[in-house]
Amino acid sequence: MMAEPILSIAGVSKRFGGVVAVNEASFDVAPGSITGLIGPNGAGKTTMFNLISGFLRPERGVIHFDGWRCDGRPPHALASVGLVRTFQIPRVLTRMTVLENMMLAGMDQPGEQLGAALYQPRHLARREREIRDQARELLEVIRLSRLANDYAGTLSGGQRKLLEFGRILMTEPRMILLDEPMAGVAPALALQLLDHIIALRAIRGTTILVIEHDMEAVMAISDRIIVMDEGSVIAEGLPEEIQRNERVIEAYLGTHAQAPVPAATAEP
Amino acid sequence: MEIFNLPFWIFVAVIAGIYTIFALGLYLQYALAGLPNFGHVAFAALAAYTMAILIIHLNVPMPVAAIAGLLVAVLFSLVLGIPSLRLRADYLAIATVAGGEIVRYLALNMQGLTGGPIGSIGMLGPSQLAQYNQSWDALLRPIVAALERNPVLAPAASRDFAMLLIVWVTALILLVVFWLMVRSPWGRMMRAIREDEDAAAAVGKNVFRAKLQVLILGALLGGLAGLFLAWQIGIITPDDYQPTFTFYAYLILILGGTTRIWAIPVGALLFGLLYSGTRFLNFYPLSLFDSGDRAYLRLILVGLLLILLMAIRPQGLLGNRRELLLR
Repeated sequence: MMAEPILSIAGVSKRFGGVVAVNEASFDVAPGSITGLIGPNGAGKTTMFNLISGFLRPERGVIHFDGWRCDGRPPHALASVGLVRTFQIPRVLTRMTVLENMMLAGMDQPGEQLGAALYQPRHLARREREIRDQARELLEVIRLSRLANDYAGTLSGGQRKLLEFGRILMTEPRMILLDEPMAGVAPALALQLLDHIIALRAIRGTTILVIEHDMEAVMAISDRIIVMDEGSVIAEGLPEEIQRNERVIEAYLGTHAQAPVPAATAEP
Repeated sequence: MEIFNLPFWIFVAVIAGIYTIFALGLYLQYALAGLPNFGHVAFAALAAYTMAILIIHLNVPMPVAAIAGLLVAVLFSLVLGIPSLRLRADYLAIATVAGGEIVRYLALNMQGLTGGPIGSIGMLGPSQLAQYNQSWDALLRPIVAALERNPVLAPAASRDFAMLLIVWVTALILLVVFWLMVRSPWGRMMRAIREDEDAAAAVGKNVFRAKLQVLILGALLGGLAGLFLAWQIGIITPDDYQPTFTFYAYLILILGGTTRIWAIPVGALLFGLLYSGTRFLNFYPLSLFDSGDRAYLRLILVGLLLILLMAIRPQGLLGNRRELLLR
């Protein structure tokens, strides 16, 4: 039914002490798709992201990225094969400028080797120019150009989310994991972010897996939805199927509730 | 002592140069990459003791002994770093404090090897004065001779003046080299790791390898400073490697402005000036105290001056105040 998945999760479990955060979860993500990962608070969505992106190691189960077994690999190894993520609370490098934040993520910069500045300055400078141009272009796209030389620490929460989004695009990823891109962002900026996400897939064919609590938004942009509850994947399907799914409604509203999934649930 | 005492100020400048190299190592680890190392003194102690032990006990040629000293410092940084680099910064701080003190206590207690509390002169036992300095002094002699032939520099020509040249030329070369490196993408990656290592890892930076690099570079610089200091002073004792040695290096970084590499020599000279300059505060009413009491009073004055400076310029002399405010 689905093309060869770009990301495949099979029987993955993770516990913290006695708490089972992710329990035998399995799902696939099709290349070039936008997939929504939803579920109530504490469902294990962020833990799942940490497992996929290499920040946590699963106790059981296997994760493949583009046919490569990647569970237990460090985050930087995943990023360098094109799988990158954002964080729920955006992590910008506050005492570095916006432009430096972007340029950091430029790939294949030989100047990151120890002492390269001394033995291959020209090679390094050429790549550095390319990275700077790429960063300026992207800043234009995410409309942070005029803040390029400001410290990232002076940005608002929403601007930080944009910056982090721009920074992961610098890596020219094949797949991105977005952890609540819209949470805590002013409505105008949230719409802008949404447009970027849709454009990214349309223009570059980037695969996107997104955790989001804004139901309206996630239903609108996703091709497929995966629902987690208490560590397990409880449903999977097209957005309209998920909206009608009994178990999903139950998970969100408690047992025997009959109401439809609320249009927008805000995360405190 | 006269305040315009050239040999004294040359000595102060030599020590400031050595501190510059020492603090540069700490700069790479702490200010650049965000690794709080409170046992930096251990690198200096290990390099100096290894060098002295190899020369005195085994008659190893001086250059070989010096390189071995640096290697031991690097080895120690790996022993300290590999288990603790993956932990949070506060645990690294604890491990390094302990590491530094372990080295000092070993030097204090392994009497047969290190000479114990009396230091390097006791390395061959009480009947014989041990020295590790002959080859280094032999190296300085032609430089002193050349200086004496120079009509301008002749009045200042001395062993310490030769040392001053060697130490400061080395320090300036190292400052330029690391200034270039800090401005390069390598430096940017290190700063990113200081700000948020998860964010750096998430965009493909190998954080562990990067931290290992600065740890090793810091150990080499700390070790080199230790060798220079040992050659300058001529005798090493465990007491020279108190934790305060590391704290002085932190003071130098903070005085100059933590994030600026050129602030290090400025901070080191300023520190030397404060620390030694207070020696000349022997006028009334301070002259009411005898010189022994004044020695302690000096430390209080150094502390007060530092507090005053930090109150006026918390970012250090060359630092950027805005960077203190960002979160």
